[in-house]
Amino acid sequence: MEHAAIIAACARGDRNALRQLLDLEGPKMLGIAKRMLQRQDLAEDALQDAMVQIWKKAGTYDPTKGSARAWIFAILRNRTLNMLRDGARETATGDDTLEREIDRGDLNDAWQMLGHDSELRKCLEGLETEKRHAVLMSYVWGYTHGEIAGRLSAPLGTVKAWVRRALNSLRECMT
Amino acid sequence: MRTASRNPAELADEYVIGLCDTDEQREVEQRLNTDQDIAVHVELARLRFANLDAATPDVAVPENFWSRINSALDVLEAGADAIGSDALETAPSKDASDTVVPFDPQPQKRSRRMTWFVAANIAATLLLALTVFWMSMTRVDPQVVAVLLDDGGQPVAMIEGQQDNTTRVTLLGDIDVPAGSILQLWTKPDPDGAPVSIGIFDEPRQTILEAVGLPAPTTDQLYEITFEQPGGSPTGLPTGPILGKGFTKEPN
Repeated sequence: MEHAAIIAACARGDRNALRQLLDLEGPKMLGIAKRMLQRQDLAEDALQDAMVQIWKKAGTYDPTKGSARAWIFAILRNRTLNMLRDGARETATGDDTLEREIDRGDLNDAWQMLGHDSELRKCLEGLETEKRHAVLMSYVWGYTHGEIAGRLSAPLGTVKAWVRRALNSLRECMT
Repeated sequence: MRTASRNPAELADEYVIGLCDTDEQREVEQRLNTDQDIAVHVELARLRFANLDAATPDVAVPENFWSRINSALDVLEAGADAIGSDALETAPSKDASDTVVPFDPQPQKRSRRMTWFVAANIAATLLLALTVFWMSMTRVDPQVVAVLLDDGGQPVAMIEGQQDNTTRVTLLGDIDVPAGSILQLWTKPDPDGAPVSIGIFDEPRQTILEAVGLPAPTTDQLYEITFEQPGGSPTGLPTGPILGKGFTKEPN
């Protein structure tokens, strides 16, 4: 079954469809949550909550208004971001955030794993390094403006301007 | 409303990448249900960044994980029985979406559960009817139409191309998109030339692609859909397995 059909089956109360979705996208969803939350148990909580949300909201999904896969991942990302905003980052990393500041390996992996012909990759490559990092820290790590400012040792206002310009550039580049 | 004066494209981008604060996030989620403009920008932003999700390394899901979710659903439905029609809320607030589901399933009151299921089914049917109505109201007159067939001769997609190469793709039946793949639509404006890409898409049942710089589609023009890696074919030519192909005809 394709994603939209799985969601439609969930809306009809078919639990096997949700299980199929877990088999199909669970590892990717867990990977995304773990990269943001930095801890396996918290990432598993995020995945479980997201699957329950998908089940609850399945009847509201409208296939004419957007991609089913994007809808599913948006629910996971929202759940993970809410956990981060509620303090999961402090629980997860404590004083170890410095390690992540030094090792931006997974941040670079995040966009270098995009295929060489990926439009997003080409457009990210066109951005200045700090602007690219600001956007990726937000999307990939779930950082706030303030956290990005801290990691990049830049004033908050400057970071907000960087992000806005970077997003405008990506929008122009990818249309 | 704090977000009312914001540029919708910028606001949608910040919402999707996770930079809205709690109040802005709640406002955007409310506006998604009523404000078509913001809803379109959010969908475009999600698709723009979706490749970053697709390129994330997988993490194995623990073996017993489904039983955790199954138990949570039991609790959810037991709770739905207890609060009756409130379970039909369709736009959960932040508080609702953050609810931690406790483990202590106590299924009860079967008749109320049946009522809930019937109501949910009616709601789903109404949604489907509204969707079909919406689709029929927004249908445009295509210049050409093609039905793409798979190797077995079964129809897998319908293509409707307009003069300016705005192309509506409707997938037919259940299409299995391999994990880590996207779909890419190609055409050959010049029968003896190379295929050119009309666009890439995820797996919605229906999508509209816009290609610029191509001649208007004509009758007997080849269209095909292939499975490609996220971001599209790395060579600019079809590389992946073919989902289906077919030639255009002009509708009467």
